[in-house]
Amino acid sequence: MFVTLSKLELKDNCPLEDKGAPKLCMKALPGEGAERSCAFDGARVVLMPVTDAAHLVHGPIACAGNSWDNRGAKSSGPELFRRGLTTDLVEMDIVYGGENKLTQAIIEVANKHKPKAVFVYATCVSALIGDDLEAACQKAQPHVSVPVIPVNAPGFMGDKNIGNRISGEVLFRHVIGTAEPEKTYKPAINFIGEYNIAGDLWGIQPSLDALGIHLQACISGDARFDDLRTAHRAQLNILVCSKSLTNLAKQMERKWGIPYIEGSFYGIHDTSHTLRAIARAFDDPGLMKRAEAHICEQEAKIRQIIEPYQKRLAGKRAVLFTGGVKTWSMVTTLKELGIEVLAGGTQNSTPEDFLRMKALMDPSAEIIEDTSAAGFLTLIEEKRPDLIVAGGKIKYTAHKTRTPFLDINHGRNLPYAGYQGMVTFAQAVSRTVFSPVWELMRQPFPPVGGEQA
Amino acid sequence: MGEATSNCTQSVLEWMATEEYKEKNFARQALVVNPARTCQPFGAMLCALGIDGCLPFVHGSQGCAAYFRSCLTRHVREPVPLVSDSMTEDAAVFGGQANLIEGLKNAYATYKPAIMAIFSSCMAEVIGDDMKSFIGNARNQEAIPADFPIAFANTPSFTGSHITGFDNMLKGFLQSLADPRQGKWTNGRLYVVPGFDLYPANLREYRRLVTSMGIYMTMLPDPTEALDSPHTGEYKMYQPGTPMGELADALNASGFIFMQKYSTVGTRKFVENVQKITSEAVTMPIGIRNTDAFLMTLHEMTGKSIPAELEAERGRAVDAAIDAHQYIHGKRFAMYGDPDLLLGLVGFLLDMGGVPAHIVCSNGNEPFRKEMEALLASSPFGAHGKVYNGKDLWHLRSLLLTDPVDMLIGDSHGKQIAKDADIPMARIGYYLPDRVHLHRQPIVGYQGAINLITMIANIFIDEYDRNCPEERFEILR
Repeated sequence: MFVTLSKLELKDNCPLEDKGAPKLCMKALPGEGAERSCAFDGARVVLMPVTDAAHLVHGPIACAGNSWDNRGAKSSGPELFRRGLTTDLVEMDIVYGGENKLTQAIIEVANKHKPKAVFVYATCVSALIGDDLEAACQKAQPHVSVPVIPVNAPGFMGDKNIGNRISGEVLFRHVIGTAEPEKTYKPAINFIGEYNIAGDLWGIQPSLDALGIHLQACISGDARFDDLRTAHRAQLNILVCSKSLTNLAKQMERKWGIPYIEGSFYGIHDTSHTLRAIARAFDDPGLMKRAEAHICEQEAKIRQIIEPYQKRLAGKRAVLFTGGVKTWSMVTTLKELGIEVLAGGTQNSTPEDFLRMKALMDPSAEIIEDTSAAGFLTLIEEKRPDLIVAGGKIKYTAHKTRTPFLDINHGRNLPYAGYQGMVTFAQAVSRTVFSPVWELMRQPFPPVGGEQA
Repeated sequence: MGEATSNCTQSVLEWMATEEYKEKNFARQALVVNPARTCQPFGAMLCALGIDGCLPFVHGSQGCAAYFRSCLTRHVREPVPLVSDSMTEDAAVFGGQANLIEGLKNAYATYKPAIMAIFSSCMAEVIGDDMKSFIGNARNQEAIPADFPIAFANTPSFTGSHITGFDNMLKGFLQSLADPRQGKWTNGRLYVVPGFDLYPANLREYRRLVTSMGIYMTMLPDPTEALDSPHTGEYKMYQPGTPMGELADALNASGFIFMQKYSTVGTRKFVENVQKITSEAVTMPIGIRNTDAFLMTLHEMTGKSIPAELEAERGRAVDAAIDAHQYIHGKRFAMYGDPDLLLGLVGFLLDMGGVPAHIVCSNGNEPFRKEMEALLASSPFGAHGKVYNGKDLWHLRSLLLTDPVDMLIGDSHGKQIAKDADIPMARIGYYLPDRVHLHRQPIVGYQGAINLITMIANIFIDEYDRNCPEERFEILR
């Protein structure tokens, strides 16, 4: 009933021996903290940005009650994905099973909310009591006119990454290739693992337009279900952000012969690099020429805009802790602003991401080994960075240590991708580093030389 | 995509605003849309954060714990300590004992807490883990010292809500760690139980009001500092809370006062019926009348009189109410939240001449309904009020669209439906991640009454200014 994990090529990703390498093993250490979320969350991260689908959580109130509409994946149209939908399993359902309730809920969702598809998510509890998610979906299917898709990634299967992978599997099996586009384009690409957090995708789109590249589907930021179905008609996949969806890229290559490349759109260098790589992959001289012209124009423009920020930020020192593509791409991006990375670390990335980060960092930079709050505090105490760049969970811990902090995960409201994103990023970093509040906090109290001195 | 999709969405949205849809919506049985409550372990975590040196510990899967932490962090903008024993598939098959013991060992060694509070997520509850014996085995196996204080509570997510979890954990603390009552002897302290309240400013207000009457008090639990700690340049994992000694001595209290009724039902029964301690539960002191009643209860319980400074404060609140009454009088309100919050708010609105229309309580029960209906019946302004227990925000959306009001009161999750209904919203309650520092302003006591009047009246005035015709736009309001 579950996706076989061995098929997801976890073996390719067994943990490295290196110090500080991401722990990709399925089991988190009991009692070590609550930094990492679960497979269920990972599945939702990938699928939830499908904006015109209904996302129905089959479980007790907790799983949906704590988390609906909690991620800044932006939509340019439908808002259906932001609705918190759950079967809200209660005691009697636990005793007698919740399958019938689920079937009924799917029918209710489909009829009353008019989605383009219904994604149905298992949770720890529904899986433990033995509800057959697939059977319930099949039972509901004849009564509704849109696809009903089971997502079997209950939380206890492990970390977020496993959930990411399972949802890639779900898209491959149930969505991609199930419809033909009205019109085909060339060159057409898909993004895989771009979730349009804070509108990142919209920072990349102008460059695609300038190059004349059609975005067949973004998997899954700001996605419409019907666009995802036709994703197999793209000629190239760009694996953006989390490599946890590598499985999807590989399978699309196998089945439809769509090659994939990796890319990042954070920072000037990586954006240009990725655009060049896309153009090169199509082996089209006209496209390559357009790309070079666009890159040349944009780089000059953006460098000029960020120069004042760069001048002020040069020599500042940062600690970086993030996941996915940002693990390495942020190293370059910070360097472009003249900021030195003192120490870097990751938790949710793949070993490849980790190795790339290491290669890009100054050899003297430290790898964060102890990712617990205690480990962080020691590191901050030792390094005294001017800036911490990481995800929201450690934001307030950082603040307590009087260290400027920039959120670059899904808690942020600003898009940092693409050329324009670099400007936004430079502004955000400056605003953080040069805020007068840090000075206010460092003032001794009672004031030296004041009344009590 | 394009025209077809967007047209379709538009027509669906229009249909969703009709009476016909409302009927279908209310006939919903298997589906909850936009839930307005969260689960037991969340409340248990809040309770545990209020004990000095206490590390909250979720026995169950890890995702829940990550959610709890990030939600609370976003609300109070503070780091939140919490660990989980990360149960996975093998634990589901073989039981969670190994995880619990290893988790205790690791958490004890890594985070050096003075005490731990263990509560279960639904996964552990479904497989029927026996936490009490597991903890005993952990001690036997020397994962933790034999005398290390641990409280525990069963907090399955598939019954009750965050308020039940708060209650269960609080009772768990008393049962696990409070010494038995020593006959008629009391320690002369009034124990003030705030209930599930995520406004540290409210807790500070309780302390100020009670101590200004000259009453010795212990707040139990006291997560004030955990939810709003001062900036010192140093991160402390554990903030001061209820001291262990005062928790241990709780059952020798001269009395207990519960600031909320519905989030403390089980604890109250335990204190009153089992331990035979004098106790009172008041309506959450939101608004002037409810604050008066709270102070009078304190007076009756302790014999202490209400000092002149509080009388002056009350005078200022009454003055504020009079000065702003015209902005609230006759305005229709829809609201949702926890039972205790709603009772306090409705009392406040009735005093101001506000008209509560739709009162949605996702975790309300029959006693709550009766109490609320009695409250509504006590005022002519309550005649239009209707209570909806067990309903969600999508039900409320139908109500807003078919029977419009002037303002929605609730937490940030309501912003979508307020926008759909094109009405302003006052953010009150738990989960306010999209506004800063609301939790730092009390909504209880006389000061809280002033704050609420100010907030609600000014939102209406802002709305008027933004939307009024040019000839009406002026300095005077």
